Amino acid sequence: MDPETTPPLPPTGSGSVVGDDLGLGLQLPGDGTVDAAGRRRVHPITPLVHAVSALPIALIVLFSLSIGGAFAIGARTVFLALALLVILPLVVGGISYLAWRNLWFWFDDDGDFRVDSGILTKKQRRLQLSRLQSVDVTQPLAARVFSLAEVTVEVAGSHDSRVRLRFLPLAAARDLRSELLARAAGLRHDVGEAPEAPIASVAPRDLAVSLVLRTVTAGLLLLTGLIIVFTVLTSGWGGLVLALFTGGLPILIVVGEFMKFFNFTVSQSPDGLRLRFGLAKTETRTVPPGRVQAIEFVEPLLWRRWNWVRLRVNIAGVGGTDSNGNTEETLLIPVATRDIADDIVARVLPGLDLAGMDWQAAPDRSRRRSPIQWSRLAVAWDDHVFVARRGRLTRRIMVIPHVRTQSVRLTQGPWERPLDLASVHVDSTPGPVKVMALHLDAGAARAIADAQALRAERGRAQDRTTRWAAEQLRDGASVEEPGAGQPDA
Amino acid sequence: MADRTTDAFTSDDVWTPVSPRLITARRITLALVMLLAVAGVVALFLIPGVPRAWALAAAGVALVVFVWLWWLIGRRVRSFGYSERGDDLLVTSGIMFRRLVIVPYGRMQLVDVKAGPIDRWLGVTTVQLHTAAATTDAKIPGLVPDVAAALRDRLAQRGEQRSTGL
Repeated sequence: MDPETTPPLPPTGSGSVVGDDLGLGLQLPGDGTVDAAGRRRVHPITPLVHAVSALPIALIVLFSLSIGGAFAIGARTVFLALALLVILPLVVGGISYLAWRNLWFWFDDDGDFRVDSGILTKKQRRLQLSRLQSVDVTQPLAARVFSLAEVTVEVAGSHDSRVRLRFLPLAAARDLRSELLARAAGLRHDVGEAPEAPIASVAPRDLAVSLVLRTVTAGLLLLTGLIIVFTVLTSGWGGLVLALFTGGLPILIVVGEFMKFFNFTVSQSPDGLRLRFGLAKTETRTVPPGRVQAIEFVEPLLWRRWNWVRLRVNIAGVGGTDSNGNTEETLLIPVATRDIADDIVARVLPGLDLAGMDWQAAPDRSRRRSPIQWSRLAVAWDDHVFVARRGRLTRRIMVIPHVRTQSVRLTQGPWERPLDLASVHVDSTPGPVKVMALHLDAGAARAIADAQALRAERGRAQDRTTRWAAEQLRDGASVEEPGAGQPDA
Repeated sequence: MADRTTDAFTSDDVWTPVSPRLITARRITLALVMLLAVAGVVALFLIPGVPRAWALAAAGVALVVFVWLWWLIGRRVRSFGYSERGDDLLVTSGIMFRRLVIVPYGRMQLVDVKAGPIDRWLGVTTVQLHTAAATTDAKIPGLVPDVAAALRDRLAQRGEQRSTGL
């Protein structure tokens, strides 16, 4: 399509190359338009993409109406149905056109990223790039057909700190991403798309096997099998309804995660780790170094034969809670052998040495509070990170750097109190990783909590990750004068 | 409470308790909710066909819950305390599930001061600290407005001096 240089990814079995178009040849000429002041627009075909995306919704509405017997098939109803199929996309496309006319984005003289939008209510946003957390390029199915992509910009902030630009040509989206990342890193913005070196990829078979063998999923599937056998033997057919739930739910989750994390690849670029994944909707996520807030190694019982682990992360502004209030599963890799996982972690948290740490185990009496996992409960720390371990069936190790510690909590429930136990929670930004050191001796837990709060405060002073690239000067890259972007407020 | 000076949650810190006016404020709220329960019980007595025993049982349950919550409010409010240390703020609370939150001043993103209508009438205010973590639960209810404003200003100032990016 253009001289865009996507480095060859390692062979990952079948499937399209993630982050590319579907190869239908539906590529549209033209770039986002630019006005005299250098302000940019998204691609003018965007309303059409939105209109196309509305078609399935119209079909679903029609389908459910016909199921409900709302109308009999006749010339009149067919005409109405066709009208709905035309009108809904037209309305959606029309609104999208108005939104397109009013959407402008550009870099202002202060080096901030500006976005103006809104049809009736005008919204002007100014993103401080020194607070940039990550830039994602995603391709929903409808956009993929037209080789378009969506760019999501995340900055650190408590509410609605996310800007979505829909849609840009894929190449333009990638350019915008590298420009944003380069400016945020304090480099000049014309250094171009950073080269990538592949690190790891997940074969579809491994992904499927790993998803099925997660502790809860495998447990539910086993339970479903037992229920089915039991109901067949006793002819008590009511059990099958139960089996529908215990079997259906895990299968839905497995299929959902398989689609989402299909063809997961991790590569290293100077911008940070680049993650690509997705079957119908492909996503590219760039995780700048120093933006990882917390990491969790998850190792279910049935994965140990292959020495597999999953790496979950908290990244400020990414994932967190979705519109349903669920915590989105943000990953560095859905499944990998321990060696590969350690290699990935070493790139975002250099110098992590779990084995060499001085682990402090929960006291023996914690057995009375948690009879299964008590022997795995332990906590450790070094100069840079706080680490906690828990879980017997699914082993978990949670890591949080001191500089990312937001606050520390000490808790004691009614079962811990008579045993003189307490738990330490180290709070991170919203995300799937919750760092907790459970059921320690209460006095020791208090000392650990106090010391961790102090390490958090001290670690702050040494934080050097805000303009990271400018500090580790790349070959051939020039550095912008500091002062253009304010250091973090 | 003899053990409050020795245990892990309260040891060697200078704790500032919250105002006992918070007890009054919360008990008024409880009484207002209780009015609804009373209305429900009265309705049970008036609706024909509802056995008298059921209505009496409902009244009994409502009374027991009311007395228990009344007593609990006193204990819960007295369990609140905060302590400003050199580098961080401590907030403790809870009886059954006890909590101690330590927030380094440099991590505070904003400090909220809130008061509902009953709180305003009685002169109690809630100060809440926010960090970038949603799980930071550092809420100090029941402060006298002057104390709350002064605390907010001190916290904001200390936060400003130490704050950096995320």
